[in-house]
Amino acid sequence: MSTSITKSATGHAADNTHAVRRKRDALHGWGFMAPFLAFFLLFLIWPLIHGVIMSFTGKSLTGANSAFLGFANYLEALGDADMWHSMGNTLYFTVISTVPLVIVALAMAALANMGLPAQWLWRLSFFAPFLLASTVVSMFFTWMFNPQLGLINDVLGKVGIPPVDWLNNPDVAMWSIVIATLWWTVGFNFLLYVAAMANIPVQHYEAAALDGAGGWRQFFSITLPQLTPTTVMIVILQVLASLKIFDQVYQMTGGGPGGATRTVVQYIFESGFTGYRLGYSSAISYIFFALIVVVSVAQFFVTRTKPTRKRSA
Amino acid sequence: MKQHKGLFEELPNRAVSRRQVLKGGGAALAGLLAAGALSGCGGSAGAAGEQQLRFWHLLSGGDGIKMQAMIDAVNASQAGFHVNPTVLAWGAPYYTKLAMASAGGRPPEVAIMHATRVVGYAPGGLLDPWDLDLLAHHGVTKEDFAPRIWENGIVDGKSFSIALDSHPFIMMYNTKVARQAGALAPNGQLAAITGPDRFKELAMEMAKVTGKHGLSYGYLGDGAQMWRMFYTLYKQHGATMDLVQGSKAKVDRDVAVDVLEFITSLLDDKITARSGDGGTAIAEFAGQGSGMFFSGVWELPTMKTAGVPLDAMPIPTLFGTPAAYADSHAFVLPHQLNLDETKRADVYKFVAAILKGSLSWAQAGHIPAFKPVVRSAAYKALRPQAHYAGAADIINYDPRAWFTGSGSDFQSYFAENIQNVFLGRTKAADGWDAFIKRVDTLLSKPNPV
Amino acid sequence: MATQTLATPRAGRAPARQTPSNRPGKRIKPSRVIATVIVAVLAVTWLVPFAWATITALKSETEAAATPITIVPPSGFTFDAFAKVLKEGNIPAWTWNSLFTSALITAITLVISALAAYALSRIDFRGKKLLMVGIIASLIVPPPVLIIPLFYQMVAFHMVDTYWGIILPQVIAPAMVFVLKKFFDQIPHELEDAARVDGAGRVRIFWQVVLPLSRPILAAVAIFVFIGAWNNFLWPFIVTNDSSMLTLPVGLQTIKSAYGIQYAQNMASALLAALPLIVVFLFFQRQIIKGISTTGLAGT
Repeated sequence: MSTSITKSATGHAADNTHAVRRKRDALHGWGFMAPFLAFFLLFLIWPLIHGVIMSFTGKSLTGANSAFLGFANYLEALGDADMWHSMGNTLYFTVISTVPLVIVALAMAALANMGLPAQWLWRLSFFAPFLLASTVVSMFFTWMFNPQLGLINDVLGKVGIPPVDWLNNPDVAMWSIVIATLWWTVGFNFLLYVAAMANIPVQHYEAAALDGAGGWRQFFSITLPQLTPTTVMIVILQVLASLKIFDQVYQMTGGGPGGATRTVVQYIFESGFTGYRLGYSSAISYIFFALIVVVSVAQFFVTRTKPTRKRSA
Repeated sequence: MKQHKGLFEELPNRAVSRRQVLKGGGAALAGLLAAGALSGCGGSAGAAGEQQLRFWHLLSGGDGIKMQAMIDAVNASQAGFHVNPTVLAWGAPYYTKLAMASAGGRPPEVAIMHATRVVGYAPGGLLDPWDLDLLAHHGVTKEDFAPRIWENGIVDGKSFSIALDSHPFIMMYNTKVARQAGALAPNGQLAAITGPDRFKELAMEMAKVTGKHGLSYGYLGDGAQMWRMFYTLYKQHGATMDLVQGSKAKVDRDVAVDVLEFITSLLDDKITARSGDGGTAIAEFAGQGSGMFFSGVWELPTMKTAGVPLDAMPIPTLFGTPAAYADSHAFVLPHQLNLDETKRADVYKFVAAILKGSLSWAQAGHIPAFKPVVRSAAYKALRPQAHYAGAADIINYDPRAWFTGSGSDFQSYFAENIQNVFLGRTKAADGWDAFIKRVDTLLSKPNPV
Repeated sequence: MATQTLATPRAGRAPARQTPSNRPGKRIKPSRVIATVIVAVLAVTWLVPFAWATITALKSETEAAATPITIVPPSGFTFDAFAKVLKEGNIPAWTWNSLFTSALITAITLVISALAAYALSRIDFRGKKLLMVGIIASLIVPPPVLIIPLFYQMVAFHMVDTYWGIILPQVIAPAMVFVLKKFFDQIPHELEDAARVDGAGRVRIFWQVVLPLSRPILAAVAIFVFIGAWNNFLWPFIVTNDSSMLTLPVGLQTIKSAYGIQYAQNMASALLAALPLIVVFLFFQRQIIKGISTTGLAGT
């Protein structure tokens, strides 16, 4: 009987069958949720809580010295020049990587949208790097950036530009990481832009063409405004992704030279595992977490207003 | 979903259908699961009955090749066990991973550490002490090591590391340049250098011969190189350095500042290049652009290959007390979650065999720690190794603390504060005080081990 | 086949994706020539790292490190570096580790996420709102924040240097739960109602009605999760140390330091590691690109 009760419950659902159904739904609901929840609680929620607990202790990788320290770790971290330096490097990377990763992706997508010949070839070449592991990207670029034997300095030399010490010059190293990152992940943003552009109704362009608008005018008066929600999304995703940077830097420069490219995540790793201080490292983790939350919340408020305003366009 | 429709939606579906993909994927997955269950806790399987020993070390380049040859020799000499080495990058990456593996409970059966790093590992339970009776059973005893080397392996009364070698900071010199500078004694070796002024004089004479520099020494961006030179000369003053957790660093500030000023005075672009890195110094001495070369013993093979007319000696005693900075590669037993007694027993056999066969390790420049090897006629015939073997008796390891040692943060802090002193941008006293302040901060924190 | 599937048909069926400039029969404008040149330069530039890695890997070690650098080495190309890496290195073992763990991560993620998404989409039960809020909120947690406590947990569970240690923390994908939930929301209730009238229970409805209808989205999620797991560096790097347990990306990182300056072998290893996904991509471009653009926005 209970199995025949449909969602459009009509009058014949008596009180007790209603209760039975609710009970059964609760059972099913939690039953279906259970496997996910188990993992969720065990490998996300618990570590999250445990990390907070650890951040108040002197817990060490070696197991020694786990006394309760109160806010000592946090206070130390806030006065730790290396922590701030790595935080600064992370923000610097986020700014100088997000701008090209959005603009180049947009330019690529705009070009792809023109229906030029041999599309498959450049789509493939723009997107393929995204499928590589960070290590592969780092190996490619470490080799190309090699000051004596690298391809890049060789090519520069042919046009008369003196060799650049791409990964060992503190003023240049972060930009070198940005170049590698751009090559690696711009294809993803490109893809999102291409998908969004394909969705712009062709009537818009037809109307503009009738008005005599050329390619550039069309791009700035139709394409770009129509893409605003996509651009906002891409910027948000990119900023959050860039803030978490670790792989390429660790692999290409190890944070060097002299800490010039060390990011927060690397500092978390090093203070926890190289310096054994899990408690201290947890405290830095949560300071970093706070930064991410602040950025996310800020972006949430920015985006909440923007797309709704543009939607009517 | 909807907003992404369009571009790729209407492409002809020539690829394999989704159903096929899912079916194929499912079958493959089932296969993977079955196979994975079988190999779940495997490792690399070897010949039947042969124990597989995992051995981690951080020796690359020429050292790595020599070590591999020694391992191959031990593997070939018996059928009981087979040693599989894993090589990780020197410095922080290696020590980080070794600590993580030990904490994780499945570390390698045996590993090489710098002896100076053991202090930071042993007390936390990441290492097991060596059973000296068992070692003696395999023919390795305390008496086979120089006292300083043996004592350095002891933490809290137990031996946690067994040294394979000592690798001091030494001086190599170009015999041709030295002869032209009139600095050779009748026995063909460099005549004794009695003090700092005589050393500078000699270096200037050699610079005249080479037309470039008298001494090659590179340090830029390399805290280890700065520290090795500094600590050698600091100890030659007979000064001490004690780092005790919870109190301020006990150092002789006047001596330290003197030493830093002396080193800076060498870096005058005549005696030595003012700002050179390790690679530049190696290239300079290898290209016979200088008469002397301050460096670790491990650069010896490079210089031999380069064909430099070569001899070597401990760093000359410029300040009264013979002293040389050194570290040792030492064998340690990472703590196992589930100790396999037979593997542990095989580790003792392996280490004893490597120590006894360490003559070939001497060819890489290192001084074998196992004295019977150094006393052998074969070693005495090695040139120039035999000429600096005495350094083993005057070696000084890093001051003991959990944060010191080769490739440690301690050396990076030294570099951060002292590089500008060497470059002439900061006063020696200021650089030194800043460094000690950093060290004091570390000493004031609770010791994580 | 690459050409056929990735090329955008000029005479496409859907008018919606034709901009005025690519309608056939238009005369060639200089602006299009310039654009073509720009795009060609960009595309070639983007292929350079692959090409240079390939050229290096096909040289002898001596040629690879020779100056001035050459495109075609005087002594000709050789497969020595590949042969050496395959014979002496751990690449086959690492590839297996990557394949095994990525496949298992994908399978577990798919199963637990689909079950949860179905409950959130279709079943009314107490506490659902709270769960939704909790799972959405968890999206903000950056994985690097968890590495310290998670590693500690793995030590306690004795899972360091095990496959389970690599796999289990990677199966939680709240974003994928919501991608699936959104899809389930669109499935008409009538279909389920009909099945229910026929006497089917929840599990059967889920298995026989909902899942078959959801194949496209399941494939998209699977692709996204698999690529992510295959390429993940940070977590496997934290939880594995023993060289027999490493995944490809982590293993490569150790090779680099061990081999030092053997450039040809380095590049050969990197290319071998890149190969599997590139080949899969050439065969399944359509599915992969669609999978990434449908799940990508939610999933990064």
